[in-house]
Parts: sequence; C-alpha cells; structure tokens
Amino acid sequence: MPSAASESPAKQTQPPGTAFYTKRTVRRWLRLFVFYSSVTILTGAVSLLFADLLWRGGWTNISTIILILFIILFALISIGCMHGIFGFLLRVLGDSNSITALGNYQDQSIEGVSVAIVFPTYNEGVARVMEGLRTTYVSLEQTGQIQGFDFFILSDSTDPAKWVEEEQRWCEIVRELDALGRIYYRRRISNEGKKSGNIRDFLSTWGRRYRYFIVFDADSVMRGETVVDLVKLMEKHPQVGLIQSVPALVNAESLFGRMQQFANRLYGPIFIAGLNFWSQGFGNYWGHNAIIRTDPFMQFCDLPHLPGRKPFGGQILSHDFVEAALLLKENWQVWMAYDLEGSYEEIPQDIISNAQRDRRWCQGNLQHGLVLFGRGLRGISRIHFLMGIFGYLASPLWLLFLVAFNWALWNLKSSDLSPIIVRGITTPWLKLSGKQHAFLIFIICMCVLFVPKILALIDLAFDRERRKMFGGLRCATVSAVIETIFSSLHAPLQMLWHSKFVATILFGIGVNWGPQKRSADGIPWSEAFRQHWAHTVIGIGWGFAVWKLDPATFWWFLPVLLGMLLSIPLSVLTSRTSLGSRARALGLFLTPEETSPPSELDTLRVRMALLEKTGPPAAPNAIIAEAVLDPYVNAIHVSLLREKQLNPEYRDALVKLGVGRPEVRELGEKLLSKGPEALTSQEKMLILSDAEIVPWLHRQAWIRPSKALAVWWQAAIRKYAR
Amino acid sequence: MDLSLESALSAAGVGGEPSGNIAGRPLDEWNAAYAKVESYFHALRIRNKVLLGRLVIHVLKRAMRRAPQEPQLSATELAAEEMDLVVTEWFGQVLQEATMGANHMLSTRGRLALLLADMPGKWQEQFLHPPPWPEEFIKAMREAYLRAGPDFQLAKMAPRPLDLGPMATLSNLSMVPFRKMILGWLLLMLLFVAAFVLTHNSEQNHHLWTAFMTWVRNLLH
Repeated sequence: MPSAASESPAKQTQPPGTAFYTKRTVRRWLRLFVFYSSVTILTGAVSLLFADLLWRGGWTNISTIILILFIILFALISIGCMHGIFGFLLRVLGDSNSITALGNYQDQSIEGVSVAIVFPTYNEGVARVMEGLRTTYVSLEQTGQIQGFDFFILSDSTDPAKWVEEEQRWCEIVRELDALGRIYYRRRISNEGKKSGNIRDFLSTWGRRYRYFIVFDADSVMRGETVVDLVKLMEKHPQVGLIQSVPALVNAESLFGRMQQFANRLYGPIFIAGLNFWSQGFGNYWGHNAIIRTDPFMQFCDLPHLPGRKPFGGQILSHDFVEAALLLKENWQVWMAYDLEGSYEEIPQDIISNAQRDRRWCQGNLQHGLVLFGRGLRGISRIHFLMGIFGYLASPLWLLFLVAFNWALWNLKSSDLSPIIVRGITTPWLKLSGKQHAFLIFIICMCVLFVPKILALIDLAFDRERRKMFGGLRCATVSAVIETIFSSLHAPLQMLWHSKFVATILFGIGVNWGPQKRSADGIPWSEAFRQHWAHTVIGIGWGFAVWKLDPATFWWFLPVLLGMLLSIPLSVLTSRTSLGSRARALGLFLTPEETSPPSELDTLRVRMALLEKTGPPAAPNAIIAEAVLDPYVNAIHVSLLREKQLNPEYRDALVKLGVGRPEVRELGEKLLSKGPEALTSQEKMLILSDAEIVPWLHRQAWIRPSKALAVWWQAAIRKYAR
Repeated sequence: MDLSLESALSAAGVGGEPSGNIAGRPLDEWNAAYAKVESYFHALRIRNKVLLGRLVIHVLKRAMRRAPQEPQLSATELAAEEMDLVVTEWFGQVLQEATMGANHMLSTRGRLALLLADMPGKWQEQFLHPPPWPEEFIKAMREAYLRAGPDFQLAKMAPRPLDLGPMATLSNLSMVPFRKMILGWLLLMLLFVAAFVLTHNSEQNHHLWTAFMTWVRNLLH
C-alpha cells in the first residue's frame, strides 16, 4: 500500500569531501593541457604541411575553405589518435587512476544500502528485456547480496500487445524466480518526456526509497559482481554522483555485428583509457549501464525544456550528457569505470539498423549545441558536448571537403596555369615534388587513423591471456585488417547518411525509413536496394565526374567511391548471420565473450534460443485475445490497473485518458461484436486501461452466445479447446 | 460434488421430452455447452482429464436444472452463466468474501490467487472442491497479492532553469515570424555573393566560371 507522500523539497545536496578533487585540479588541468596540446601540435604541424601543398597550386578562395575544413577534420581524427596513444601508454605503463587500481572498495560493506535496478522499455522485444533482467537477477542472487536490490521494469510501451505481453512475462518471471516483491512492473499512462520522463516518473514515485539506482537499457546485461562493485564504489566514494561502466558489445551474430563487436573489444579499451586520461572524475554518462546517486540526481537533473521549436527546442533528447554536465556543475564527480568488466549491451545487426540508430542519436547530439554555452557548466562538459556534436557534424564537413577538393582540382585543370606554380615555402628543406608532398600528407592521415588500431594489436600482443581470448594474435591481426577494410568502405556511407541526417534535422524534415524487412539471415536484396540506391547513384555520378576531370585523381578517390558503389552488396552480405558464423568458424572477429563466455551470457543465449524455438511471437491481436479470454492474463492485467489507481498522478492521467466514460463500454461492445481489427490501437489502449471494462470483457466473451460475438472471438475461444 | 447427470436430468423432466432433447434443448446444444465450459477450464489450466470431465458435468448439471425456467436461453448461455457462478461462489468461499451476482473484483482476485498459489501445478484437485481445504492451500490463496511496486514515496522533481548563455538569444530566433522565408532569402543572398566572388574576385575565378559552364554543356551533349 502506498505510504504517506513526502512532498517537501529536498535539502540542498552537496557532495561530501569536495576537497578531494580540488586538490587534484592542477593535475587534472595538466592532463587536459598535455592531451589537447598534443592534439594541437599534431594538427598544427600537419595543417601547415597541407597549407603548403595548397600554396603550391596557387592560393584561391577555395584553398581557404579546404584548409579550414582540413584543420577541423584533422583535429577530430587527431583526438581519436591521441586517445589511442595515451590509452596505450596507460595500459602499458599502468594507470593509477583506473577503477581496479583503486582496489580499496572491495571490503566496503553494502549492507542496508537500497538500490533500484531499472529497465526502461518502450515497445521493445519483451522476451529479450525479461531475459536480460532474469540473467542479471540470477547473477546478483549468486553474489549473496541481493537483499538491498529491487528490480523495476519501467514500461513506456504504447503498443497494446507489448503492454499485455510485458505483464504476462513479468508475472512468469516473478513466479519462476520467486521474486514477488523484488521485481516490479509499472507502465506509465502516457510516455511524456520519453526515457528521461520515464526515469523521472520512477524517481518521483519511488526514488526516495533508494540511495542509488542503476539504469539498464532494453538489451543490457550486467554481472552480479559488477553491480555489487559499482555499489561498493559509490559507497566508498561519497563525492561521486555517477559511475558509468563501459559496456562490452556482445551477442552479435551477423558479420556486421561481429565486426563491430570485435572492434569494440579490441580497440575500445585503449580509446576509453585515453578518454579517461583527461576526463578523470569529470566523465560522461551514456544513458545506461551506470549507477547514479539518487539524491543529487533528483535535485539537479530534472531537465528543463529548451526554448524555441523543434528540432532544437523542446525536450532534451540525449538527456544523458546533459545530466552528467548538471551533476558536474553541482560539484559531483562522474566516473568512467572503464576497466570494470561484466557490463554488456547489444548492437544493431546490420548497416541500415545502425544508421537508424544514428539518426536518433544525431538529433540529440546536435541539440546539445544549445546547451554548449550554458552558464555554470564545466569546460570539460562542453568538450564532451562538442565531441558528440562533431561525431555527426564531421560527416557533412568531410563531404564538403571532398566536394571543395574536387572543385579546386577542376579549377586547376580548367585553368591554363601550370599545376605547380611555386615551391612549398614552409617545407623547402623536404625537397618534395608536388606528388610526393601530397603522398606524405596522405600517409600521415592514414597513420593517424590507423595508429590506434596498431597500438591495440601491440597491446594485445603483450597480454597472453587476452590474446588467447581473441583467438591468437594472427587471427586478431587478420580480423583487424578485414575490419579496417570494411570500415573504410562503410565510412563513405556513414558520411552520406550523417550528412543527410544533419541536413534533415536542421531543416526540420523527418526521415522515412519505411518498415524494415529483415529475413532470418539478414537484409534482403530488395530492402538493401531501397535504402542504398541513392548511395550507388551518387557513387557512379561522382566517379564519372572525377574520371572525366582527371583519371589520375580518380584512383585516389576510389576508396571513397567504392563504399558507395558497393553499398548494396556490402549491406546485404554483412547483415548475413551465416557469414558471421562462417567467420567465427575461421577464427575471425573473435572476442573474449565468444571464446570464454561468462556464464551469464551463456545462459542468456541458451534461453533466447529456447524461446525462439517455441515459435514466432504471437500476433498482436492474439495477445489482446489473451488479455480478454485467458483467466490469468486478464486477472494480472486488471490487478495492475487497479494498483495503478492508487497513485494519484496515474489516477488523474487515467481520467484524462477517458477511462470510466460510457464510450469505453461502447468500444468494448464493438470489440466483442466486430473483433479487434475494427478498433484502432488507441481505442484498444483505452479499453485496456479501464479496470472495469477489462474484467467485464472477460466475462462477456465467455458467457455470451457465439452468435453475439465476432467470428474472430469464436475462433479465439476455440483455441482453448484441446 | 454430484457427478451423475441423472439427478439433473430427472429434475429437468427429461422423461417427457422428444428424443434427442435434454432439458428442453437439442443434444447438439448441450454438446456445444460442454465444449464451452471445457474450454474455460482448459484456459484455467485444468489438465487432469478426469477432474476436467467431473467439473464440466457439475456445471452442466446446474445448467440443466435451470433450463426449464429459462427457455429463452440456449444451453451454452445457461452453462456459461452457471460456470461463472460456480467459480465465483467458490472464490467467495475460499477467499471468505461475499458474492453478489457478477462480482468482477472477486473473480479477478480469485483467478489471480489461483495463478499465484499455483493451482494448476499444485492444487488442481482442490479447484471447485467444497471445503475443507488444506491449510497451505487456503493460506496461499488468501495471501496471494500482486504488487507492481513497493510503497510509494512520492516526491516532486522540479526542473531547474538552465541559462543557455548566448544560445538563448539564438534560440529566440526560432520565434521570429517568417523565419523560413527569411532564411531562404539569406541563402539566396549568399548565393549571389558566391556568384560575385567567383566571377569577379580574380581572373582565375572568372575563367573557372566559364570553364564550368562549358564543361556542363559538354557533359549534356
């Protein structure tokens, strides 16, 4: 039963021991200075070399544009390269600031600490969400520390069938794990504020009960020990407001998924170690697989709506970065537990799904442009925002760079001037011809791009245990080479896609993906053609134009053009699970979670395979039929509806929705007499939200003579006869 | 529970009926009624065939007794209503709650209790069985309660205003009326500026422009 409401405003929360990081400020600034100075020196030196190359051809307006674009783009890849170099050095020399090096938290008691583990879900695959929860629950139970933990499935699902299925599976899991009063389910009446609104609703209702909460994604899994470690770390370090674990990508089956997974596991550690070098206690939040101190989060992280209209105004979409920035603003630390193993998530299985996810993230990251200059935010938060923004802006800038380069080339070709009119003035001592000069810059760019990958392989070579988990150094090297070729082909596609996303977002235009068709083995050719024909046409057109302009330059452009020209087969073939399996059999793209999977992932995989074997998921209307006809499913649904009415906010929302009005009974009659297909999804939601109508429907469906029911119901009832 | 249909049939005056009729309804109707009741018990996961048959007959017997008084109802309707009554009355007895007609609250609570007490797995033989019931079963049924969440501890979260700095001014631009039109005009102006720069800034640019037009013409031809 609900307890008395506590409405008093929270006391101003201050992190204890703020002196902890004040003492370390100098060192932090030194790290930041060293890191970004390295980036600046590298960018400056190579840009000078590039400017000199442009000077050789005679300086025009377009040269200025090309140089500016080059500086921005090179700075971005330099940051990546420096992350790799610094991360590599830290891993080789040892990082005293890594989580495992702290070591002092292991003996920390967490007795009496209350923690909520929340799974926000929105029309996701119900079985996968529940199995992820089950895996984490069982693993946590095995640590013997489950007493302080409560699990919450926070549903925002708007699909009536998903709603009923979630309730059904929740009840099953609760019964199977004997976890009544330990695993909870709540569905919001409206999904206002999306994911951040969902979390806010949870905190407003139950937040005060828990000292910490851990946010999971629909496809997250965490080992019990990792969860306990995170809680211990928070207990040991009271100045920390949030600890973000670094989830390893797992469970990929397609070739694309396995390559991404491999790259994440091989290169990820050195990149994240490099990121942690300069961010230290001023890290970032990625929205899931993170533990959060409830009190300061509730006090400081309720996000305001941004002024103006969409796409920039309104609700903050990528809330995680902003929430971390707000915690940092209020002197709480945000840590990255980059070397804490046992945190996992899944990835899209094909290029198209990956792009669809990027579209959502792109809008959220661009929106950060509005918050970038927010008063009071820490400089380091602004760097995190900028990196997110340029993660997407880099694509149109690269496209612009290539177009400008083509323009300049055409300019040169169509003029009667000599292609090399002056010698380089800043690099005369190099004594390079124009072609050699260009080649040198190209080689430097390639090095900057590939050095982190090479360093990751060297890092692997030093670690025998890890090497074995990647299938040996030879397999890992071959895999890294293939992955590099693939990412070179994939990059131009991402450039076109991201450029389109940025443009459509800026002009407030939506992207219509259409319903994605995916067969058991991956993307069918027709679907790939639908999504990639424009890329292919651009590739052909651009290639033709460059060939006509200068056949020698065409070969330089070929890697970029190839990605576009091959987009359709690339998309189809890399989405294939059969090719993913074949690569695995050949020892390619192996990851530690594949070669020696933790028991949690093994269990999850087996259970998901078993669920798949039981047959395809029921049709949406079949699940509605269950909610009405099945005595147990109906009872679960009605009980949860009744409990919902105990929350005053939900009660008001239900009234606003129209629950209790005579029209709902009329809709119920329509449902019985004409079947669910006669109703819209919203009408079904309204019926399913009414705690009086749902049990009435159950009784009527069983009591009424067949002729008073739609043929659809007669068939549904017959399914119960065996 | 009386398993025999004979008492019901005699009470319903079967003896004076035309052949093929029971309690004033054709045999086919009772067959359909049997199927409906059996389906409902299937839905309740009553797997034991003997028990299932016994329960269905118990319900049909009650329906046949009622049949002569309500000739307007079909056998299926009668049986379904009786099935509902039998189950709800039994829930009332087990859960010690008063039953009054169609009690949705009691029916829902009872069905939920059956599920949470694991009637289909552990207590099938107790279903619709008259008292006394095993203590453990009664306890499991009466204590069954599905909680979606712990006790509420309501709190108000309030967003703090965020001073966007110079961006606040910029975001106000989105409130400017006809902003899309103005943006279009600005882009057009920019295009003119670009055309001017390309055609006037240097001889090379001028040459470039004419060469570009020639190239386009060549491509088209």
